[in-house]
Amino acid sequence: MHPEMHPSAALKKPRPNLIFRLRKQWQIQAMALFGIMFVLVFNYAPMFGIIIAFKMADYSVNLMRSITEAPWVGWDYFKEFILDYQFRDILLNTVGLNLLQLLINFPAPIIFAILISEIAHKRFKKLVQSISYFPHFISWIVFGGIIINMLSVETGVVVSALLKLGIISEPVSLLGEPNAFWPLIIITSIIKGLGWGSIIYLAAITSIDPTLYEAATIDGAGRFRRIWHITLPSISGTIIVFFLLSVSNLLNSSFDQLWVFQTPLNLERSEVIDTFVYKIGITQMRYSYTTAVGLFKSAVALILLAGGHLISKKVAGRGIF
Amino acid sequence: MATKRFDLFTICNYAFLAIFCLITIYPVYFVLIGSFNDGNDYMRGGIFLFPREFSLANYQVVIQDERLYTGFKISILRTVIGTITSVFFTAMVSYAMSRKNLIARGPYYWIHLVTLFFGGGLIPYFLVLKNLHLVNSFWVFVIPTMFSVFNMIIFSSFFREIPEEIHESATVDGAGDFRIFISLFIPLSAPVLATVALWNAVGHWNSFFDAMIFTTKGDLMPLQLFLMKMIREADVISNSQYVPPQVQKKISVQTIRMAAIMISTVPILLVYPFLQRFFVTGFMVGSLKG
Repeated sequence: MHPEMHPSAALKKPRPNLIFRLRKQWQIQAMALFGIMFVLVFNYAPMFGIIIAFKMADYSVNLMRSITEAPWVGWDYFKEFILDYQFRDILLNTVGLNLLQLLINFPAPIIFAILISEIAHKRFKKLVQSISYFPHFISWIVFGGIIINMLSVETGVVVSALLKLGIISEPVSLLGEPNAFWPLIIITSIIKGLGWGSIIYLAAITSIDPTLYEAATIDGAGRFRRIWHITLPSISGTIIVFFLLSVSNLLNSSFDQLWVFQTPLNLERSEVIDTFVYKIGITQMRYSYTTAVGLFKSAVALILLAGGHLISKKVAGRGIF
Repeated sequence: MATKRFDLFTICNYAFLAIFCLITIYPVYFVLIGSFNDGNDYMRGGIFLFPREFSLANYQVVIQDERLYTGFKISILRTVIGTITSVFFTAMVSYAMSRKNLIARGPYYWIHLVTLFFGGGLIPYFLVLKNLHLVNSFWVFVIPTMFSVFNMIIFSSFFREIPEEIHESATVDGAGDFRIFISLFIPLSAPVLATVALWNAVGHWNSFFDAMIFTTKGDLMPLQLFLMKMIREADVISNSQYVPPQVQKKISVQTIRMAAIMISTVPILLVYPFLQRFFVTGFMVGSLKG
């Protein structure tokens, strides 16, 4: 501590006491405390609720009583989940789908933003933006409902097209085919989110100093070298921030989307931890068990993060964080 | 940044983007023509470009469904009330958090920040809401989203940009902090508040997960949950007994679904041109998030 910061030094310059200062700023204190109260109730209370993962509190609705009175069961619910016959599928789907999304749906908007920025024709650019942003504003229910109609065996356009192109030899229900589920999720995510996801990168690209491009052109750099040496480095900050954001959301599946496309026939490849927790937890009231499953998900996410961090440190010389 | 001459890259780029736009637009068009087609005729398949037998029967059936009106009512109410309260209270906390003289500002900040990285998960959250008697109440759509830490961070960084002199002169004039927040800071940051409000409203309008989990009563069913039930479950025509037989002949499960989808998309289509004006401010907010 710096000598001047010592409490005795404060005596020389007497400050009004805490109570007086608090009373003087009671209005902003009240405003700030509203936020604190809110997160205590809606964010911190659920965190304490995690305790019921280790207690026998299935079917019990009173959270306080569950936390204080229910008997401890240790790791029993975690064991039950790991021994569940669906466990391997659920884990594979959760990790697989999320990693695929990170691998494909994270970089896609960056490429899309670069493609849009390369358009010289102003009106075409605006048109592409208006159309590609649109699906972001409709819900997954509506968008999914539209896609389901497209995939219909008897009346849908997709099956007809695939038949005409010879990709499939007889009409199949793509929603009933487990192996079609992952591609379906990835493709629909791209159609719905690509345009809107690119908006932030496009903003970063438009703020690049145009003289950089002019200088590079004079020096004889082609389009791809300009993209590689000017555009990408200039937006790398934005890319890193959004990469961190998506990494911190790892394993939080897009419930709405999965829920629309999930059918009893494709469960094998479509059941993830989030949908499982909803079905068993909310509808069957197995609160402790599914809290344990949710906690298990966080643990897996943490392991994946740590793993990714170590790999990127080994390969690229720097970690994720 | 883009060259004027039409090289191979430019041609491919234009072609790719045009095709992507078609792929994005066509599904909506596909559902639109299907919804205006005779249902029985539709089931024969092959309607890809134009309606074959034009009919309004599907819409006639959908608009007879009581749940559609409940859905619109709940969705509009939650969107309006939810958005206003969320933006107001979040801005209020942001104002306090942006005041440098706020005692315990550091600890407050950390308490908020932690919630961005840790949470209790779905079930404990559900139990908390249940113990607060919010489950199966309309307010479950409003109260739990009344404050957002993420938006608080965006707002306070905007409030910090507002010159301190404005606050000082208002204080000299005898205005309290609440007054200053309402009559100075809210108008001064209107573009940001409006942008966040719009994103908030879209989120409210489109959300169905909370309704599915926290409500079981039919009279609390927002539009999206009604649509979800129509799409995922078989109960498409619950009021079919009221449908006259000549209309019944002209409908099918699929085309009714399409009509319901179109009806619920109309409000978004109507506000979309208006929303576009906010994309630019969206840029600003977005760059702050970074």
